[in-house]
Amino acid sequence: MKVARPKRNHPIWIPKVKIAAINLFLAFHILAITCWCVPLKLPLFPLCRKLVRPYFLWAGLFQSWDMFAPSPWASNSYVEAVVIYKDGSRKTWSFPRMEQLGLTDRYLKERYRKFSEVLQIEDNDLLLPDVARHIARLNSTPSNPAKTIILIRRWSPIIPRADGSYQPEPWDQHVLLGYGVRPEDLQ
Amino acid sequence: MRLPLGALTLKSATLKSASGAWNRFFFRKQSPIPIALFRVAYGLLVIATVLSLRPDWLAWYGGHAWISLSTMQSVEPGTRLNLFTIVPQSDGWIDAFFWILLGSAMMLATGFLTRLNSVIVFLCLTSVHQRNLFITHGGDTFLRLAGFFLMFAPAGAALSMDRLLRVRRSKRGEEDTLNRPRPQRPWAQRMIQIQLALLYFAAFCSKVKSPAWLNGTALYYVYHVESLHRFPVPAWFLQPEMLKLESWSAMAIEFSLALLIWVKDLRYILLALGMLFHLCLEYSLNVSLFEWDVLSAYILFVDPTDASRAWNWIRQRLDGSRTEPC
Repeated sequence: MKVARPKRNHPIWIPKVKIAAINLFLAFHILAITCWCVPLKLPLFPLCRKLVRPYFLWAGLFQSWDMFAPSPWASNSYVEAVVIYKDGSRKTWSFPRMEQLGLTDRYLKERYRKFSEVLQIEDNDLLLPDVARHIARLNSTPSNPAKTIILIRRWSPIIPRADGSYQPEPWDQHVLLGYGVRPEDLQ
Repeated sequence: MRLPLGALTLKSATLKSASGAWNRFFFRKQSPIPIALFRVAYGLLVIATVLSLRPDWLAWYGGHAWISLSTMQSVEPGTRLNLFTIVPQSDGWIDAFFWILLGSAMMLATGFLTRLNSVIVFLCLTSVHQRNLFITHGGDTFLRLAGFFLMFAPAGAALSMDRLLRVRRSKRGEEDTLNRPRPQRPWAQRMIQIQLALLYFAAFCSKVKSPAWLNGTALYYVYHVESLHRFPVPAWFLQPEMLKLESWSAMAIEFSLALLIWVKDLRYILLALGMLFHLCLEYSLNVSLFEWDVLSAYILFVDPTDASRAWNWIRQRLDGSRTEPC
């Protein structure tokens, strides 16, 4: 007796092509992600990173996993701004400081810790004018707009002691940016 | 140069066995329960992340954000998948973006239109990160990467509204039963597992090159950065000898979770150690949802048979407690 075969919706070679395509996808991504994120100085890694860079940036596959490494942040620090108003008065404004917040706020405002850390890195100087403008908008009123914003980094180094104790060191400061606010910045 | 026949046979046998192992690892069908459980955890974590951003949503991503879109594009150039570049920069539109992401993450967690919502969540999450890369942490990055591979996974094949609707619609016997989802190829799940292992391996490699980690002082710095504190850590935990032990243990755990996690007999011990490690960090350090983002992927390392056994055990207990006389 002949048994009717179920009708095939697609040609027989399609599953094979599909599996081959998936294999290619898998092999490419394993290799590319390894080359991208593993910080080893192997001969082919820089070339591979260069080749996959456009795709990784586009697709959001870029990544780095240097958690507290190679050197952890070795100081307590924060960024604050001195706001000088049109009438000559001054005000000090600070990013939310986690150590001064309650538990819930610390969770919700944690992004400001990260952002404040980023602003202290020299490579990110291009971000500072935007930050100054935002602080100017936050702290201006139509009758008394901010005229100048001075961004200041304050830090106290963490110095390990032989007995494991911790003594807070004196605070130091460094001006990151002085910014003259223009009327269009406040719109 | 010609290879002797024995060497050729050996080479071909090795290739065959490697290819067989590859196929078994990526393509041998298995229960979709682990990837479905991960989808639920992933959806909930995206919801938590998005809700935690809500109070400052417009400050980070709005038309008058801390960093303007144009500055972001000049500081981090390149063609990037970023929906903010096509969305009008008015606060109304940026707010709508928030609700779309939140709604889509909710549907993904419940498994409704799973594939579509996994794509929407990935696109929105990636755009949010690309819009302001300076506030993202490792947990965000992991969610984005896992989201990429989740789009390809059969994440709605179990524990989902999609499946419930499918079973209801299908004729008896045509569709698999509710209790037994049809096995699926786990290649996308494997990629999330590999991504997690690479995360640990990269973290280990970064630390092993660092004098502060090798001499055991790294955690001294970490624990004295006041902005990172969450709950108080006992004084003995910060003694120099303990800090050395903790630094080296962290490296050993990261190394093991990268490489030894693939050894079946060691897997559950390492997962337990990894959980302890992340929960200690969660207790002591204020790093948002990072630990939970990473821990969510541990689900994928649980053997589906063990997961079913655990589920049956829980159900028996629950049924038993229901039938017990008061």
